[in-house]
Formats: sequence, structure tokens, C-alpha cells
Amino acid sequence: MKTSEFKNSKGVTVVVNKELNKLRGREFFPEKLKKVNEILAKSGLPKLDR
Amino acid sequence: MKHNKYLSEADDTFLIYQFISEGPKGLVRKSVIFSDTNVENVYNLAFGDYDPMTDTLDDLSNTNNGDSKKVLATVAATIYTFTEKYPEAWITATGSTKARTRLYQMGIANNLAEIVKDFVIFGYNCKGYWEQFIVGEQYEVYLLTRK
Repeated sequence: MKTSEFKNSKGVTVVVNKELNKLRGREFFPEKLKKVNEILAKSGLPKLDR
Repeated sequence: MKHNKYLSEADDTFLIYQFISEGPKGLVRKSVIFSDTNVENVYNLAFGDYDPMTDTLDDLSNTNNGDSKKVLATVAATIYTFTEKYPEAWITATGSTKARTRLYQMGIANNLAEIVKDFVIFGYNCKGYWEQFIVGEQYEVYLLTRK
């Protein structure tokens, strides 16, 4: 198993586990996702100067 | 957030994270998943207790393992890790109930000074538009991205 830790990171130390790949692409909370998509369709994203 | 964090597992795209909450209620596997939305580069954060028997998440349960700050810190840390991998990404998040959304609001408000060092954070207000997060305001959905 590969351990990844990003330098100077406030992130979490992770161990890559390819068994978790099986969860990709699934919608676990479709109602919440639907609400978010409705908001994004109506209001888009705020303007941001990067 | 300066609280301890749990060590996590991740899939090889860093979209899915799992960690184990430990406490008086035993070992509870929790998942954080960044799901595609209909907008490119915008991901919705899903979080809940993971059931390995059914491969499902439960976002309504109250584990009461006495480690809520550590769990919240771990979830927050996955956002840092995810956005280090996907620096242009936007993340939306909302609670499964109004009480949960308020809980997240408190977590954001209590750590806002730390959060805004690295992120811009918005809330979707009752008037139907995004505004930069204001402490004390009620929001339906949160949205953040790296500065």
C-alpha cells in the first residue's frame, strides 16, 4: 500500500487503497446532489479573481 | 483545524476517503466522497457512516463516539488533501438535516480565520445567491475553493 503525504500540508495522511475505487461514480445522496445541481443551474458560481 | 486527525485511506484518484472513528461505541467506518456535479470542476462533498456490507453511506446516524472534533478535523483535512490534488476544484457541502447544516456552520465559524488563509468560502443564502461566508448568517449550502 502506498502512503501519500503532501509536503507542508494541512491535509490528511492517506494510504491509497484501490479497493475504494469501487465506490467511484456512485450517487450516495441523490437528493442532496439534486439540490446542489439546482442551485448551480440557477445561480452558477460566484465570480472569483484568481 | 489543529485537532488530531484520523489516518485515512483513499482511492487512487483521491476522490474517496475512509477513516475509522474510535470511541466508546467501538469502531465506525466513515467516508468522505467528492462527487461530480453537473458543473465541471465542482464537486459535492458527501459524508457519512459507511456500511461495508451494503457499500452504502448513512448521513443521518449519530455515532456518539466522543470524537466529533477529531472527525470534523479529519473531514476538513480531506478537503485540504483533495484540493491539493485538484487545486482548481470548487466544493459544495450541505448537511443531511438543518441541524447538521447548522453544525457545519458552527465548525466553519469557529475555524474561519484558519480556513480563509487558504480558501474562499461562500454560503448560499435565503435570498438565493452566493455571498462570502458571514458568521451568524444562515446558509443552505456552503461552497469553497482554494485561493
